[in-house]
Amino acid sequence: MIRLSSSQRSGLVGAALLALVLVAIGLLTAYFGSRYQVRLVYSAYVNLIVVLGLQVFMGNARITNLSHSAFMGIGAYAAALCVTPENIKKISLPDAPWGLAQFSLDPVVSALIAVVITAVLALLLGMLIVRLTSIGATIVTLAILVIIHAIFLYRTDIFKGNQAFFGIPQVFNLTSVIAIAILVVIVCRLFRESRWGIQLRASADDEVGAAAMGVQIYRLRLIAWVLGAVILAVAGICYAYFLGTISARPFYFNHVFLTLAMLILGGMRTVTGAVLGTFLISFGLEGVRYLETGPVFLGIDLPEALGLSGIALGAVIVLTMALRPTGIMGNREIETLFVRQRH
Amino acid sequence: MEYIVQQVLNALSFGAEYALLALGLAIVFSIMGLVNFAHGEIIAVGGYTMVAFASLAIGNPMIVMVGAVLAAMLASLTLERVAFRPVRKADPTTGLLTAFGVSIVLQNLFLLFVSPRPIAVTSLYFLDWSIEIAGIRLASLQVFETLTTIIVIIALMLFLRRTVLGLAVRAASLDFEMVRLTGIRANRVFAIAFLISGLLAGLACIFIMARRGSVDPHLGFEPVLKAFVACVVGGFGSLPGAVLGGFLLGAVEVAMLVMLPQSLGGMTDAFVFMIVAMILIWRPDGILSPAVEKGDKL
Repeated sequence: MIRLSSSQRSGLVGAALLALVLVAIGLLTAYFGSRYQVRLVYSAYVNLIVVLGLQVFMGNARITNLSHSAFMGIGAYAAALCVTPENIKKISLPDAPWGLAQFSLDPVVSALIAVVITAVLALLLGMLIVRLTSIGATIVTLAILVIIHAIFLYRTDIFKGNQAFFGIPQVFNLTSVIAIAILVVIVCRLFRESRWGIQLRASADDEVGAAAMGVQIYRLRLIAWVLGAVILAVAGICYAYFLGTISARPFYFNHVFLTLAMLILGGMRTVTGAVLGTFLISFGLEGVRYLETGPVFLGIDLPEALGLSGIALGAVIVLTMALRPTGIMGNREIETLFVRQRH
Repeated sequence: MEYIVQQVLNALSFGAEYALLALGLAIVFSIMGLVNFAHGEIIAVGGYTMVAFASLAIGNPMIVMVGAVLAAMLASLTLERVAFRPVRKADPTTGLLTAFGVSIVLQNLFLLFVSPRPIAVTSLYFLDWSIEIAGIRLASLQVFETLTTIIVIIALMLFLRRTVLGLAVRAASLDFEMVRLTGIRANRVFAIAFLISGLLAGLACIFIMARRGSVDPHLGFEPVLKAFVACVVGGFGSLPGAVLGGFLLGAVEVAMLVMLPQSLGGMTDAFVFMIVAMILIWRPDGILSPAVEKGDKL
């Protein structure tokens, strides 16, 4: 029997509370939602997994990462390449090298391969990143994003660039993504409260001090980086397995900023913040998109206003940074709202 | 031989543009630790000012150019006042994210109030003609750009070294509290830094517009991404570093364009960013950054 520390026990309580919220939203959607709304909520859950993957590294090591969408793309493309049936690949990827079009695997094995590929790539790239400090590390992650996107666009024989990579079996539904999201929430929360998580957060508060206490900062950052990448790969797989088609465009700057805004609004230091920010922005943006189309609202015919959702997203980032830089949740997790903390 | 000279001149003019933009980023960063990603939108403000002049049927190129530069300066000053003052004391990451937010807001404002499509601006075409010296063909624009950058660097150096305000700006990048103790208003130092940054963006805007001939909401994004990289490579916050980084990036980019086979054409940016990443891994704080020990009071 593993003895858990008090913060780990409250971490499990918090994860359970968040799981309840996730299940509740899922049930509401499944019973009352239209097809379109189910799709929408599904993509919110995929973004939630992305934001959680981002939180593992950004929230604990507090280094801004801009390459997360690229890792999601790697996961999605790797799984798609493995799982798509041969006959479809022969049509869509006639020039694929290395016999990529000559095999197909079942979804679970494909997903595992995709996760392993992403993890290995993340490990190699991570070894370069963890040694850098704040802005330098951010620039290198930016470079990774640009390079990987360029490769997606350039190797059209494998990835089809901005054209649709189609024919991926649609094996996932809302239930599967909710189950995975809950699992990821638990993993993130346990990592945050583990020895590694606590040491990493200490190193973010005071790098020199933590190193002097014997914290192996580079190693911990690397662990968080690879764990984050694995979660991002899972998000990419969920995306591909539901939609059945992917292209390079959704794994670039727009998605980077969208998910970053989610994490910032909720508060990147906590898992609760990641969940809260994702749902606030996902559902908030849908409201703004409705206004964008120029609806008739309270008898007033509003004009069409393209770009409104972008303005809202940017404004959320600016206002959060100006008014509450640690996000809505700050350092508080969900269970602290219900349970009085003993000091 | 002529081919080599030609490519060197190309590299210089690419580098000059990046250096202009990188200087604008570096001067703000050196004082307040802000990575101003909204710099690109300042360029777009200049571009849209040119559109406004065109629609008012003002074709005098002097008015158009001066107007665009003034608009860029004004926009830069406004951003400092509205968006960046609240995060003045925050850490670089907070500032970086704020700037990202400002950049997204401005891009979408252009999209909403002007147009998502590119708008043609023809009033600056006259800047671009080709000249031939000793068998080397040059675009006049390249010459103007390189010369302007050199003049700007000299003027900036004179301002920073010979005037009290320039001295205050340089001092502020070392120890801001001390500058305030000597009785210089903090707001004025920030305003000057953002004005210079806006001026540089405005000048860059003239060249970018003369070359592209059209403006769209994402006009400034890519050049500033590159300038940002130039800054980091040179050593963030160091003005000589920004210039060095700019010209180095220009050289790398032209070298990539020349050396990479045609079939790898789409990969130029990927290779440029890869080289940049490797420079950073070799020298994490940039080539010309001052040596700072972790834990030093900054």
